[in-house]
Amino acid sequence: MPTIADKLAGLWPEIVMLLGAVACLAAGLSASARTRRLTPWIAGGTMALAWIFALWTGIDADHPLGLGGVVTYVKCLVLVLGLVLLLVCAGVPEGLKQTAAAEGARFDPGLSVRGEFYFFFLLSITGVMLTAGATDLVWLFLALELTSLPTYVMIAMTRDRTVAHESAVKYFFLGALSAAMFLYGFALIYGATGFTEFGPIRDAVAVSSETGLSDPSPLMLMGIVLSVLGLCFKVAAVPMHVYTADVYQGAATPVTAFLAVVPKVAGFAALIMVLHLLGLDRLPEPVLYLLGAIGVLTMTVGNVLAFVQTNLKRVMAYSSVANSGYMMLGLMAGLGVPGNALGNGPAAVLFFLLAYGFGSIGAFAVIAALAAQRSPDGADHTDATGVADDLEYDDLAGLWWRSPVLGGVMLVSMLTLVGMPPLSGFMGKFFLIGGVLNAGFYGLVIVLVINSAISAGYYLRIAMLTFFGESSSAPAVILPEGRRGPRVVGAVIAGIAGLLIGGLPGNSVVRNAREAFEPVPAPASAEPETVQAAADESTASAPAVARSQAAGLADAVPTP
Amino acid sequence: MTPTLIPWIPALAAATIGLISLFRSEWNRFAGALCAGAIGLSFVLTLWLSSSVGSGVVESGFYDWISFGSGDNAFHAGFSWFIDPLTVVMLLVITGIGGLIAVYAHGYMKGDPGYWRFFAYVALFIFAMTTLVMADNLLLLFLGWEGVGLCSYLLIGYYYEKPKAVAAAKKAFIVNRVGDFGFLLGIFLCYQHYGTLQISTMLEGARETLAAVAHGHGAVTATDVWIPFLLMVGAFGKSAQLPLYMWLPDAMAGPTPVSALVHAATMVTAGVYLIARCLPLFELSPYALPTVATVGAVTALFAATIALVSNDLKGVFAYSTVSQLGYMFLGVGCLSTDGAVFHLVTHAFFKALLFLTAGSVMHALAGQLNIQTMGGLRHKMPVTCWLMFAGCLALAGVPLTAGFFSKDLILGDALAYAVDHGSVLFFALTFLGVVTAFLTAFYTFRLWFTVFMGEEKFEMGDEHHAADDHAGDHADEADAAHDDHAHDAPHEMPWSMNGPLVVLAAGALLAGLVLHFTGGIEHAVQHSTAAVFVDAAHSQHAGDPAGDHGGEHHAYFLGVDAHVFMQVLSSILAVAGVVLAAFVFWMKREIADKAAARFDKLIRFARHEYCINEICDAAVVLPLRRLGALFYAVDRLIINSVMDLMGGLPRWLGMGVRPAQNGRIQSYGLTMVLGVALLAVLVLVATGG
Repeated sequence: MPTIADKLAGLWPEIVMLLGAVACLAAGLSASARTRRLTPWIAGGTMALAWIFALWTGIDADHPLGLGGVVTYVKCLVLVLGLVLLLVCAGVPEGLKQTAAAEGARFDPGLSVRGEFYFFFLLSITGVMLTAGATDLVWLFLALELTSLPTYVMIAMTRDRTVAHESAVKYFFLGALSAAMFLYGFALIYGATGFTEFGPIRDAVAVSSETGLSDPSPLMLMGIVLSVLGLCFKVAAVPMHVYTADVYQGAATPVTAFLAVVPKVAGFAALIMVLHLLGLDRLPEPVLYLLGAIGVLTMTVGNVLAFVQTNLKRVMAYSSVANSGYMMLGLMAGLGVPGNALGNGPAAVLFFLLAYGFGSIGAFAVIAALAAQRSPDGADHTDATGVADDLEYDDLAGLWWRSPVLGGVMLVSMLTLVGMPPLSGFMGKFFLIGGVLNAGFYGLVIVLVINSAISAGYYLRIAMLTFFGESSSAPAVILPEGRRGPRVVGAVIAGIAGLLIGGLPGNSVVRNAREAFEPVPAPASAEPETVQAAADESTASAPAVARSQAAGLADAVPTP
Repeated sequence: MTPTLIPWIPALAAATIGLISLFRSEWNRFAGALCAGAIGLSFVLTLWLSSSVGSGVVESGFYDWISFGSGDNAFHAGFSWFIDPLTVVMLLVITGIGGLIAVYAHGYMKGDPGYWRFFAYVALFIFAMTTLVMADNLLLLFLGWEGVGLCSYLLIGYYYEKPKAVAAAKKAFIVNRVGDFGFLLGIFLCYQHYGTLQISTMLEGARETLAAVAHGHGAVTATDVWIPFLLMVGAFGKSAQLPLYMWLPDAMAGPTPVSALVHAATMVTAGVYLIARCLPLFELSPYALPTVATVGAVTALFAATIALVSNDLKGVFAYSTVSQLGYMFLGVGCLSTDGAVFHLVTHAFFKALLFLTAGSVMHALAGQLNIQTMGGLRHKMPVTCWLMFAGCLALAGVPLTAGFFSKDLILGDALAYAVDHGSVLFFALTFLGVVTAFLTAFYTFRLWFTVFMGEEKFEMGDEHHAADDHAGDHADEADAAHDDHAHDAPHEMPWSMNGPLVVLAAGALLAGLVLHFTGGIEHAVQHSTAAVFVDAAHSQHAGDPAGDHGGEHHAYFLGVDAHVFMQVLSSILAVAGVVLAAFVFWMKREIADKAAARFDKLIRFARHEYCINEICDAAVVLPLRRLGALFYAVDRLIINSVMDLMGGLPRWLGMGVRPAQNGRIQSYGLTMVLGVALLAVLVLVATGG
């Protein structure tokens, strides 16, 4: 039984994050304007430091489910995505009218939300990291709530239109409903096994000697089913997807990018953990049915709904739903053969999260950097920053010709999401499909491919409009330098990452994702590998890319 | 390193010319010099290489082109070279003749608006062609094969404003696709059968099988039989043999130096090279080589009869090229690879010379191509006249010229093969070859006497006569170059253009003599993969290691050594042909006219290529078009509507689901709970109740 001190020793990254979050809160309320302006830098520095700590702490070889690698991978993944998201989100509180009021002649801390925004930003990411690191159902529940609760506040405070508050309230209530659901599931699991710790629960689940599959008691099975269904809310999967479009549309676009990525990572990390209580490799048939049904419904509903939308944020919201559907299928594919990335479904999910993350962040960042000039229904679509960010298809018309950078990022993001080689989305879908095929679910593969084709209908429409579109009215304008913050930088980094991870660097990410599921022989030898893993995920700096390419080459030599 | 430089220097020149045209268009005039210089440099390197190759093999890598898999499933195709004496011979022809033609073209193309483009294509062609002959694996060979096809397409369509040139380019490309399809299938089969595309490894395997079969153990598999036939299709397409020959006459729409380089001297011999290189693969199948020989001999006669009646200056040479290529295939078909390669070399000399002198005539007459409008041009263009005479002598196979030795080697070997095997087929093929030899002499000198002898007459071509069948095809080309001369009297070419021709003429007259007595070609072929496999135990050639019927072994025909018999016979026929042509087309032209009137229908029919194009249209093109129209209709009516329906499906589905997204939190909550309930029930059902 590990002591609390042992547990804390593995939580250094989270501790750093919490300290940084508090520092952000304090800095945001500082009397000195210069210190207040430092807040986003503190947030960024905190995440970078946490990343270093995550690598330094290394893989927990004693993880009760043997998923120490996944823990480290998810932590690094969410920190990398978080850093890019910070670039997209920084500037949101600064642009608010109330911030302008607070920063008047005399600083009014009662109005300022800057500190809170970055505080909640970091807290939510900390929640994902804790989710990944959870070894106990109670811990898992608390971590998931820590992920979600800050997002409710972030939605509500970054836009002073009622629609944002409505979104926040909807998200909160439905989130609470879903939390009740998986908490019920956790309770049933506890009831069935008598434990809340992962290790003993897993040991308590019998394995059928005939089929080699898990043979959980009906109570345990119901617990797992309810947990999975509740967690569907986090990943925006059917039947818990209903909130997605409204909430995504209501939130300020940079926050939408956050919502599309961070809770999803948490949700899939939690799903992997919960399902691995039964054994990802030996899921009983009912669970496979459940996952298959959720996956097929999710991707189909997401795609057909995205198909009929005209509002870009709603399109992207349903695209986010559809992508969850693809990943659901990955969860049921099993771990495949050790040493072979193709065939390892959950590893494909881990990689797909990265590809999807960059694709979505890129698209949302471009939308966030644009402002619509017209309001189709005559209503005021401007948010607190005076920006109309409810873009329609027509707003993108000919974007490439007005801003090749934004147009290019949009193109790359769309092609990544479609799964066009050689972009990262292709690799993601390739490994996902490979896994599902290996597991023998041919029908599901066909559904997945058909859905990909449907998704091309709206992704490519956006990509095409960016180049060849002609708008009937005035298309969206690019926000001026002062108002858009570092969003364009974030967009470009997401675009480049989406491009590169499809190439050689992706090779090593895939390897890391695959190795995350393999038992760690000794922590000492695992550590340099992880350092490499981190380098691979970093795409912001050229040396890192060079290094990762070298690593990719090394991996290209097939292992017998 | 040297081998790598041979193709890549011209490639670099092509790239440089392209870059110059983009960024420094005032330097465009250096394109010709750059191209000729690059090819010349490659020639020098080839000479150097040939000394180091000697009679051995040089294998050299450049870089790993394609590499994947590991262990038994590994596949490697390097950008790497396999150089044996056969390759050296080919390289010398390509870079040597290519260099001379580039020098000639430098003058010929002067003033053309696409000057730089022409030389960029030519340099690229040399890159592709040298890669083709130096490749050590079939995939790289195929790269070069497609590369020369591409350059040929670009060069035929060089005058892209002219619909005729564009159509010819398309025809060449499409007909070659048919051949390449077969070739590609052959490559697939080779990989499947041998597990590699490395030529040397494959040939090793083929020779082992041959030896095993000769000793009575082991058997030839169906794959072994299929591979040569598929490769053969590719070779026939590239080398314009029946039935894939029809692109070559049309290909003369390109600039004349291109006709000389690509469509006479080098590219069209790639098919001969391929068969010679892969000879052991062909020996595996008992039917492959006789098929090759038959197609070759029939094509030779067929094309010769068309050349006999054609009035198109370049057309005669184009058909004669098809005919001569037929000889080469007859050569490889009767295991006389040395004869085929020998003829390939001499043909490169005299056919390039003939095309270039024809180009000079055309150039001087502002694009006039109809030989009936010409006569007695020897006074106006004396140098061209006698240069072409040299080329004609060689083509006709007049004794002691280059064509004489090489053609007789092929025919002699064919006869000897027929005698050795008692093969009626090969007797017949030899007979066809002999008839063709006579026809060749006759039609060659028909052209020469018509154009240069007799009473002086000429009509200037003019681009305004473009509607006319032949005149004006190249009028713009000539006009652009020599506008001031266009309507003036014909004039002799400058020595900058005639210089290379003199070298070619010397080759056309003397190369055969030199190579015959030094035995250079036999040496090259015997030390290459083209050497004929003869198993000592089971030799049907009575112990002659190279299958060469010279030396100690003699095949006797009517009591005379086959080669001697053939030399005497064809000398008589060649001289007879020349004399007959002189009589009919110089001394007494009225006989020719009378005969023409008498056989008017037959001549028209032959001039129309025996309606081959029409038959081809009716048999292949039209059905394909009909099928295309049918597919188009099916696509429009059925598939499109189904696709529209399917495309609409997601939209309808979306519209159907959309009302659930009504924005009310109560209904969202309800949806979620109902969904959970439904899925929970599903799981219960899945558990089995």
